Amino acid sequence: MNQTIESIPHTTVSETVIDDPILSAQDLCFWYGNSQALFENNLDIAPRKITAIIGPSGCGKSTHIRVYNRIFEQYRGQRASGRVLMDGLDLLAPDTDIITLRRRIGMIFQKPTPFPMSIFENVAYGVRLHFSFTKRELEQKVEESLRAAALWSEVKDLLHRPGTALSGGQQQRLCIARALAMSPEILLMDEPTSAIDPVATARIEELMLELKQRLTIVIVTHNMQQAARISDYTAFFYQGRIIEFGPTARLFTKPTHPQTEEYITGRFG
Amino acid sequence: MAELRLPHRSPGARKAMDVFIRFFSVTSATIGIFFLCWILWVVLKRGHSVLSLSFFTSAPPSPGEGTGGIYYALVGTLKMTGLACLMGVPLGLLTGVHLAEFGRHSWFAAAVRFCVNLLMGIPSILVGLFAYTVIVLSVPKHYSGYAGAFALAIIMLPTVARTTEDMLLLVPDTLRESTLALGIPRWRMITGILFRAARKGLLTGVLLSISRVSGETAPLLFTALNNNYYPKNLGRPTANLTVTIYNYAMSPYENWQRVAWGASLVIMAFLLGITVLLRTLLRERSHR
Repeated sequence: MNQTIESIPHTTVSETVIDDPILSAQDLCFWYGNSQALFENNLDIAPRKITAIIGPSGCGKSTHIRVYNRIFEQYRGQRASGRVLMDGLDLLAPDTDIITLRRRIGMIFQKPTPFPMSIFENVAYGVRLHFSFTKRELEQKVEESLRAAALWSEVKDLLHRPGTALSGGQQQRLCIARALAMSPEILLMDEPTSAIDPVATARIEELMLELKQRLTIVIVTHNMQQAARISDYTAFFYQGRIIEFGPTARLFTKPTHPQTEEYITGRFG
Repeated sequence: MAELRLPHRSPGARKAMDVFIRFFSVTSATIGIFFLCWILWVVLKRGHSVLSLSFFTSAPPSPGEGTGGIYYALVGTLKMTGLACLMGVPLGLLTGVHLAEFGRHSWFAAAVRFCVNLLMGIPSILVGLFAYTVIVLSVPKHYSGYAGAFALAIIMLPTVARTTEDMLLLVPDTLRESTLALGIPRWRMITGILFRAARKGLLTGVLLSISRVSGETAPLLFTALNNNYYPKNLGRPTANLTVTIYNYAMSPYENWQRVAWGASLVIMAFLLGITVLLRTLLRERSHR
């Protein structure tokens, strides 16, 4: 295993330059206890674009985006080194306010996780904590978020029903509405459609294309067609390293690294 | 064909063993249930005759004359159990939160978990003696309902703590992550989301601990003692059901013995009620 890692060509400088990136990971390393999962990666995220992260299982895709909102800190033994710059400030610095950071960078997970409360409360719960809205403004915010998540028309008469009563795809859009209600600048999505059916997946992909008008999306996906369909940029991860990064159309048609080509043509992974 | 040459054992011995084991397990189960039914039957037979509304609302009878009731003891038990809940439940809940949420890998939590398990196994009479030493023998120097509630709270604590830990650990980490990812602080996640997600489990722990203490006699014998008067406040020796049963059942007066049987039936019905409630709660959990 270690030998193969050593033999992989290391791309520290990506060929594609992003002007004015909203997030910039520099020399990012990550450890689960003593085992290193990310190796001095550099990745710039373009604002108001969709960046897809692809690669075989265990290559560090999820690990990478879990650094952006520091959610990994919840677990003992997981640590990151390097820098992630947002507005010129290092997110990984100890004095970063993690509550504000997570308000600005939302996250959607593989499995929809509605809170054990009503649909309205699911969206309102976080809003109340971060903003001091009047009751009226709060209701508006909830409606606006549910509309932005393309869920309003389906739930507007069921706002007081439990969030868990919705279908899987609806639950995932509820989670997106919940995240949008925080007015985030960036939305991280960790395989957001791998647990839901194709029709619901199509709706969420459509939604992502709408959302990128106003915010930045970084999506981890196992589904290469999905990456090709919706993303503007793609990063290919392999064994903890970013092998290739570039505009999606270029990366899928003219990959410059043999591993990328092998992966996207389905020869491994 | 090669199979035929293998040294197969005859199925006879295996079948005989099966019958043997099955016979003994069924017999053991029947014996267990038999004694339970016998106890229930005796308590019901001896206790039901005194049961009436006035049994719950009357003062204890004088020795040898009148029927009377368990009003004072019932109020005393409810007051002490209630106070014990006020002390034991928050403490146990927070201990469980520490074990499940903050101390999954710390040596301190491991030590606390060990102590809680130990506390769960300590005979209740020792808890009674402890409360007697630190409360009854201290400043006011007399038996009191407060000392009784204190002893009961100590008995409740480990049950609530362990159930809370177990129930919080059943909440998937994905829910924790998605809560934290919204920028919700950890304490709000615990009180607002996890408690809500695990509410039935937490209630189960509280009910379990109440059912544990509702039959305790030994810790009250050294602390609340008993009293023939209405338990207006818990600063004095306090009437309670279990010590009443203990005293009256041992007495030579036939009417006291009847009250003891009636009180036993009341406690038994209460426990049965809690058990049914627990089963309903847990069944709803598994159906979700």
